[in-house]
Amino acid sequence: MDFTIRAATLEDCKDISRMILELAEHEKVSDQIKITQRDLEQDGFSKNPFFHGIIAEVPEHLKSRDGHTKVGYSLYFYTYSSWKGRAVYMEDLYVMPEFRGKGIGQALMAKVSQLGLAAGCNQLNFTVLDWNKSSLDFYRKQGCWDVTSELGYHCMRCEGDALEHLAQGDL
Amino acid sequence: MANFILRKAEPKDVSDILRLIKELAKFEEMEDQVILTEKDLLEDGFGDHPFYHCIVAEVPKHHQSADGHVIIGFAMYYFTYDPWIGKLLYLEDFYVMKEYRGFGIGSEILKKLSQTAVRTRCNSMHFIVAEWNKPSIEFYKRRGASDLSLEEGWRLFKIDKQNLLKMTDEE
Repeated sequence: MDFTIRAATLEDCKDISRMILELAEHEKVSDQIKITQRDLEQDGFSKNPFFHGIIAEVPEHLKSRDGHTKVGYSLYFYTYSSWKGRAVYMEDLYVMPEFRGKGIGQALMAKVSQLGLAAGCNQLNFTVLDWNKSSLDFYRKQGCWDVTSELGYHCMRCEGDALEHLAQGDL
Repeated sequence: MANFILRKAEPKDVSDILRLIKELAKFEEMEDQVILTEKDLLEDGFGDHPFYHCIVAEVPKHHQSADGHVIIGFAMYYFTYDPWIGKLLYLEDFYVMKEYRGFGIGSEILKKLSQTAVRTRCNSMHFIVAEWNKPSIEFYKRRGASDLSLEEGWRLFKIDKQNLLKMTDEE
């Protein structure tokens, strides 16, 4: 299949926003989205971006059933491991269902890896839901391993009221 | 004893930061995994685009540790992004030397981090904990943290440099 992988621009935020919603629906949590297209524009494309994006695009004659040429994306940012140093975190990776099985996901992931390596990173990290069998298989095939299963590390979160109380020193 | 200050780390602190990183890694039985050097910490934390931020806990000279240190605790963090809820503060490492525990230093560090999170309009603070580390899990749960791995099924995955290179070669 004919497709290109390139850095996302401000103009892509509309399609990124659309695909974020599609991915959230796939993960069955679309009611949790609080970020708007405008937030993405500000947070990703200002002087100090909080994330970077790459887009998978197909030519006009291969566009999707509902007329889209931007058919996949990945959002990533740089993090730091106190053991290994610079790392890249892949926050989202998504390809529209009708364009799967053509190597687009792999190409997006390869691009994030290239960019990460170029920035001096030693590892790529991301999270996957334990019921998402097709994604788990895809990632294992790429040589990834499950840190949660093998080392017992759990992802924790402190938010909303709990975060506010913590900030005030309440217990 | 409670006589300590919390302050932003400075370039001169990298030696102590690395020492504390290694102590924490030793506690997690991962000491041999730490390949980071003082030079990395200096370049990555105090250049134009820092990969991480750090706060340190310092005691006065007359309260120095058994082996003569005044920097006795630290927290390493950076900002990440969730395309559903926006900016997050990610706590990479958080450690207080054994002989200084039970004086509220850890709580103060966490309070300072939460204040930073709220001030910089982060919606959440994320971190990972090893599932066997019961005292730490209790410490965090008491403060309102939730275990995303258990509650939502998120598993942390990693790809190391060797496999990253393989992935980019296949392109």
